[in-house]
Amino acid sequence: MTALSFRLELRRSRILAVGLAVVVLVYGGLIAALYPILLANTAQIEDYMKLFPKGFMAAFGITGSLADPGIFFTTYIGSFLWPIVAAIGAIVLATRPTASDAERGWADLPLATPLTRGRYLGAAILGQVVVLAALALATVGGVLAVGTLVGAGFDVARFTAAGVVLWLFACAIAGMTSLLAVITLSRSVAAGVAAGVLIAMYLFNIVAQVQPDFAWLGDLSAFRYAGVGALIDRGTVDWVGIGVLAIVAVAGWTASLVLFRRRDLLP
Amino acid sequence: MPEAIELRSLTRWYGKRRGVIDLEADVHEGEVFGFLGPNGAGKTTTIRMLLGLIRPSGGSARILGLDPWTQAPAVHRRLAHLGSDPGYLGDLDAASLLDHLGALRGLQKGAWRSLAERLDLDPRVPLKKLSRGNRQKVGVVSVFMGREPLLVMDEPSTGLDPLMQREFLALVAEARADGRTVFLSSHNLPEVERACDRVAIIREGRIVKIATVAALVGDHTRSVNLVLGRPAAEGAFALPGVTVLSSTGQDVHVMVRGDINPLLRCLGDLDVRDIAISTPDVEDLFFRYYEGTVAGSEGRVVATGGTGIHAEAAP
Repeated sequence: MTALSFRLELRRSRILAVGLAVVVLVYGGLIAALYPILLANTAQIEDYMKLFPKGFMAAFGITGSLADPGIFFTTYIGSFLWPIVAAIGAIVLATRPTASDAERGWADLPLATPLTRGRYLGAAILGQVVVLAALALATVGGVLAVGTLVGAGFDVARFTAAGVVLWLFACAIAGMTSLLAVITLSRSVAAGVAAGVLIAMYLFNIVAQVQPDFAWLGDLSAFRYAGVGALIDRGTVDWVGIGVLAIVAVAGWTASLVLFRRRDLLP
Repeated sequence: MPEAIELRSLTRWYGKRRGVIDLEADVHEGEVFGFLGPNGAGKTTTIRMLLGLIRPSGGSARILGLDPWTQAPAVHRRLAHLGSDPGYLGDLDAASLLDHLGALRGLQKGAWRSLAERLDLDPRVPLKKLSRGNRQKVGVVSVFMGREPLLVMDEPSTGLDPLMQREFLALVAEARADGRTVFLSSHNLPEVERACDRVAIIREGRIVKIATVAALVGDHTRSVNLVLGRPAAEGAFALPGVTVLSSTGQDVHVMVRGDINPLLRCLGDLDVRDIAISTPDVEDLFFRYYEGTVAGSEGRVVATGGTGIHAEAAP
């Protein structure tokens, strides 16, 4: 029964997954195609970038030379496109099985069969894990594929590892949104709170980088733990960051499962 | 042998808002039980507790001896459910949806096929393109395609055309003939009258009456209009339960409460040229329960039409 629900979950996610995958593939591919040009003009670009305030640069993840693949990837994708794609994908997927389907009345149908609530939501969570992994893979894969074609010399292993971090970041959003959706059983409230928290975290991360007095705010931001610049450029794995993202994801999903079993499903 | 459904002081509050209060009822195995009330009376709340989708605030519900909240999967193996307005996934077609729900219930792929043909349902049309009536057919097919011993339906025939309503009632009759129990919530009074063995009337969250349809109708007053060939003797209608409302000699209008046989025996001694006996139908009785004037009812000659009752009917 879990497999049936999982297959349906994937089927329902097709349009969202394909749409977002096309966006990240096209954008990632275009950006990767520009990398050799950027590399050939590094000096001029860096002179130009000095004109911008540090905070502005930090907001886009430009904390070093754009010639470095890690900074390049973080600037154009890791701290720009991916948070948007991950937030859209994770919020839509995580609110759907509980809040959305309770609101629209779909949840009543499978939950009036022998399928348990745990298996129902567990299958949906498994669907989130797979779809978000596919999106992370598409994001990194597009950059790597085009990078190889244009001779960018990207490190496949490090980029793949970065893809895992991106995936964990999306999973953390999904885990927490899943919990919000079970608590509120309102898609709009859960999605609104999740998006608001993400925007706040994004701002925390910027403030933490430009204001030393508020550096502690960075610890409250998921964006801090999802940085992949050092991983791609130096091979440095931020195990703490990975651990925090994984714990948030697993804790959110586990709490969702526990709570959903006891939750009144009001129409 | 446990009852198919047992409600014991079943209560549900939504904060300070009333859901249902102290519901007491037994639904026997193999019967068709109607749950009658207007929108907002508490029918859907009761069904959601029977399905284990919401928890009672007090009291208990048992389905075939099982607690629907703590033993939901076991309960769900024994029942099929049709909601009043199911939120189907619009991108699926009926065939995919029915196969999915059927598989979750352990049914073979295509178990719905003969029923879909019987109800003239095209299973390949995406659900979002179906009319309300056709979407309701999908629900009817879904609930009847299995072999569960208990069918729980919330306003099942809403949106069905008269032909399909008749087909639906035939399916209910077949389910009863197979020994299955049907719990049917409705505000469609003629449907309840035709389909059900017993009826509970729910008013503002409380069950105000449970009776067989026959008893509900039979216990009440009948109106009898007589045209006599010659005037009856003084006191001819002084019979148990009979009240003479008007008499102009040959035209007599009497009300009979309870057993009508004494009056019929009396009429055998009179020169009766014409007689019209009108009995109340469930709709009359229902409205009387909602108006709080059960006694002293007046009858109607013909059965009701297929109109529903809405919340504004409640006092």
